[in-house]
Amino acid sequence: MLVIENLTKIYDNGFKALDNLSLEIPDGQFVAIIGLSGSGKSTLLRCINRLVDPTEGRIIWNGIDITAASDDELRQIRRRIGMIFQQFNLVKRASVMTNVLAGRLGYINPLYSFVNYFPRSERERAIAALQRVGIEDKAFNRASALSGGQQQRVGIARMLMQEPEMMLADEPVASLDPATSHSVMKYLQLLNDEDGITILCSLHFLSLARAYSDRVIALKDGKLEFDGLPQDIDDDRFRQIYGEDAVQVEIN
Amino acid sequence: MNKTPSGSQAALRRLIIVIGAVAALVIFSYGWTVTDIDLAVPQQPVRQQNVGNALRELLSPNVFTQDYDIQTTTTQFAIDCVEDPAAAEPAASDQPYIVVTPACGSSGEIVTVEGYNFYPDSLARINWIATDGDRRIRQTRETNADNFVTHDNGTFSVQIEVPRIRGSAGEIHTVEAQGAFPQGSPHISNTTTTVLEKMVETIFLALIATVISIPPAAALSFFAARNLMRPVRIPLGNLLISIVLLPIGWLVGSALLGQLGLLALRLTNGEGFAGTAVIFVFGFASVASARRLRSSDEASSGRLRGIVNSVIVAVAIVLITGVLGGLGQLLDRTINDGILGYVATFFGALGDLAELMLVAVGGLVGAFTLSSIGGTLTRDALKHISVAFSHISGAVLGALAGAIVLGVTAVVGGVAAWLGLLTPVIAASLAAPILPMIYRRLAGGSPIPGRSERSVVAALSLAGSIIVFALTFSVLSVGRALIEGTLPSQAAALSIGDVIITQYVGRAMLIGAAIGGIAGALAGTKSNFPIGDALYTATRTILNALRSIEPLIMGIVFVIWVGIGPFAGVLALALHSIASLGKLYSEQIESIDSGPIEALQSTGANRLQTIVYAVVPQIIPPYISFTMYRWDINVRMSTIIGFVGGGGIGFLLQQQINLLRYRDAGVAVLAIAIVVSVLDYASAAIRERYT
Repeated sequence: MLVIENLTKIYDNGFKALDNLSLEIPDGQFVAIIGLSGSGKSTLLRCINRLVDPTEGRIIWNGIDITAASDDELRQIRRRIGMIFQQFNLVKRASVMTNVLAGRLGYINPLYSFVNYFPRSERERAIAALQRVGIEDKAFNRASALSGGQQQRVGIARMLMQEPEMMLADEPVASLDPATSHSVMKYLQLLNDEDGITILCSLHFLSLARAYSDRVIALKDGKLEFDGLPQDIDDDRFRQIYGEDAVQVEIN
Repeated sequence: MNKTPSGSQAALRRLIIVIGAVAALVIFSYGWTVTDIDLAVPQQPVRQQNVGNALRELLSPNVFTQDYDIQTTTTQFAIDCVEDPAAAEPAASDQPYIVVTPACGSSGEIVTVEGYNFYPDSLARINWIATDGDRRIRQTRETNADNFVTHDNGTFSVQIEVPRIRGSAGEIHTVEAQGAFPQGSPHISNTTTTVLEKMVETIFLALIATVISIPPAAALSFFAARNLMRPVRIPLGNLLISIVLLPIGWLVGSALLGQLGLLALRLTNGEGFAGTAVIFVFGFASVASARRLRSSDEASSGRLRGIVNSVIVAVAIVLITGVLGGLGQLLDRTINDGILGYVATFFGALGDLAELMLVAVGGLVGAFTLSSIGGTLTRDALKHISVAFSHISGAVLGALAGAIVLGVTAVVGGVAAWLGLLTPVIAASLAAPILPMIYRRLAGGSPIPGRSERSVVAALSLAGSIIVFALTFSVLSVGRALIEGTLPSQAAALSIGDVIITQYVGRAMLIGAAIGGIAGALAGTKSNFPIGDALYTATRTILNALRSIEPLIMGIVFVIWVGIGPFAGVLALALHSIASLGKLYSEQIESIDSGPIEALQSTGANRLQTIVYAVVPQIIPPYISFTMYRWDINVRMSTIIGFVGGGGIGFLLQQQINLLRYRDAGVAVLAIAIVVSVLDYASAAIRERYT
């Protein structure tokens, strides 16, 4: 259970990205977060694993106060929260294998990192993760040599190395074409179904949210605009979230 | 004239442009005068002739040379002869011979000397040998020079004057012609050989200086990268405990770890082979315990693991330094000949360096290990103390840490008068946050200050800094030191064992304790200190200061320290390259893609792991490229570092110029031009591959 209480984030330049937001997300839910650009979707996700430090409010996950964690504790928490990104955030010059293994860094002895060593069991785990996303044959290619969809799958494999209980996906398909988007979303759905990983996924397209999520949270100017089932968003709700002039675009 | 407001604005802008142009003209004219530009000087005939000669010689470099055999042939000449001697026509042969017409004459007469069978287009001269046997060079009337050049068929015909020698009438004199005959084929001159030797020295000087500078520059570049350092903040309490533990760690580390390292060095350098086994057992034990820790890390707490890890790393660092140093010395002693001899000597030197540095390395490692352990152990305790106690402990720890920091800067400041400024500057920067903290405490205020509040805070911190600067400046009488160049007195205020604290250092420590105590009490041990920002600013300041000193000036200092020669040049170029590469490297770190860093942080990787896996892969290509560029620059610099005694080709070039041997200097200039352009091309080609 993830509990967000009165979360507010004001950036140094004075921009208020989140405004007194409160939420409860039970374990195992697939939550889509929608809203216009700048509505606070990315900030919300980054506050949960403290890539961004919230200004006020608390985030409590399974009884642990993430907002009060020290550096050591935070690393322990982050190990169990996976994250994938719009720009994939792979080290492009490194091999796919190295990128995937990097997801395990929170678990292995930091001394090994000096000499770039990973135990055999971790290498096997990495191959298994790549098999799961169907690109084990690319393991020793450079990450930059892969297509966008394949790079995002490397991102998912890297996240799988963490054996996460929760996953944050920051617009994971915004840089991908429609067909690839569906393939990546299906992997997320698979992880949600098979591994019971709680998924918080920010999306641009309502159609994707309808197709894959259990619950939709809409943000507008850092405030909660809608929280409910995907099918409950009708045209009026849609215009409330995206503004009067918005027109729904389907992605198939 | 336009009367609209926009028109008057345009007019004003035009007026400003005109004023600016006039000001620029005045500035430029002043510069013209200051730089002594005088267009008449280059046109003076004497100077034009001088520069012509110098350029001619420079552009005729003495690269090749030819050995000559001087062949001599003579004929008779009668002075004031009674009867005209018959022109003795020598039998035609391939030997050189000369004919003087007329073969008789009086002093001051002009005679023609014709030579045959000389070497074509080579130098020859005419000597006059009177009965006294003295050889007098006769200059030819055409050129007024000692030497002349033979025709392309090996003949010559020159006119000389019969010398006026008192009482020579009736005597028979000898006319001698000396001709140069090339011996063997043309070959490379001695100058060229010397220049080549020095050029090799120069290239290696640049190479060694560049290689030495890479590790420190790479290490410093991480501290000088804003994007990496900006987010690093640690609780003030941890920082203060770490600072307080630094000197204790230094003492313990230099005693225990330093001795351990020296033991390892002694055992491996051949004075006891059995010792090597002991070291290997140590090594295996530490690796094995590291492995076991990994397998049991879920059970044991991460904190204990961290402490054991840092102790293992500390011991490993001194042991590895000691073992490698010892092996180097052993190698040096066993191998003396050939290419391996060079390698062995190099490793031996590294071993000696390790032996010298081990106590300091042990001290540093011990200081950082103990302070990080202290920080880790007290983290929980500091987190759970009450607010009131956090301010009390802040005051105590702050006073101790402040005293240590200002004590150290005062010791540095006691070395030279102007370094005395360091203490007031550091004291002022420590005191800067005090007044803003008091203001915030009184005014309350939101977590995000508005613009007006920010300017109030800035004004307050500036005011506080100035007050503390002035106070420290006067208490330590830095002003007197600045004017008279005197150093603070060494009068002891307190002595603990061997450690003597002078009154000067003691006063600085008291000031530090006061500032640190007040700041610590106000902030409390729970507040976050922007340690990253502080390290960033300090590193950047040091790098910029070092970079602003020209390598030639550093060269002068190092020549005083280690004597004239390439070693001084290496040190000067290395020091400057550290500063320069450190800046270039850190700019590369600042321009990397932050995405992978964010991704690795989100996996729970620690800071070091994030750097190794997200930052290092991205910066390797630009680092290679900038290192090549720096090597290129160092080769250029090393060609002139010799002018101040730093070795290499510059030293030779300076000697040749001072001796006015421009043809030899031309060889050096040519060699520099070739090497620099080849390296320029090579480094550009390599850099292109990596960017």
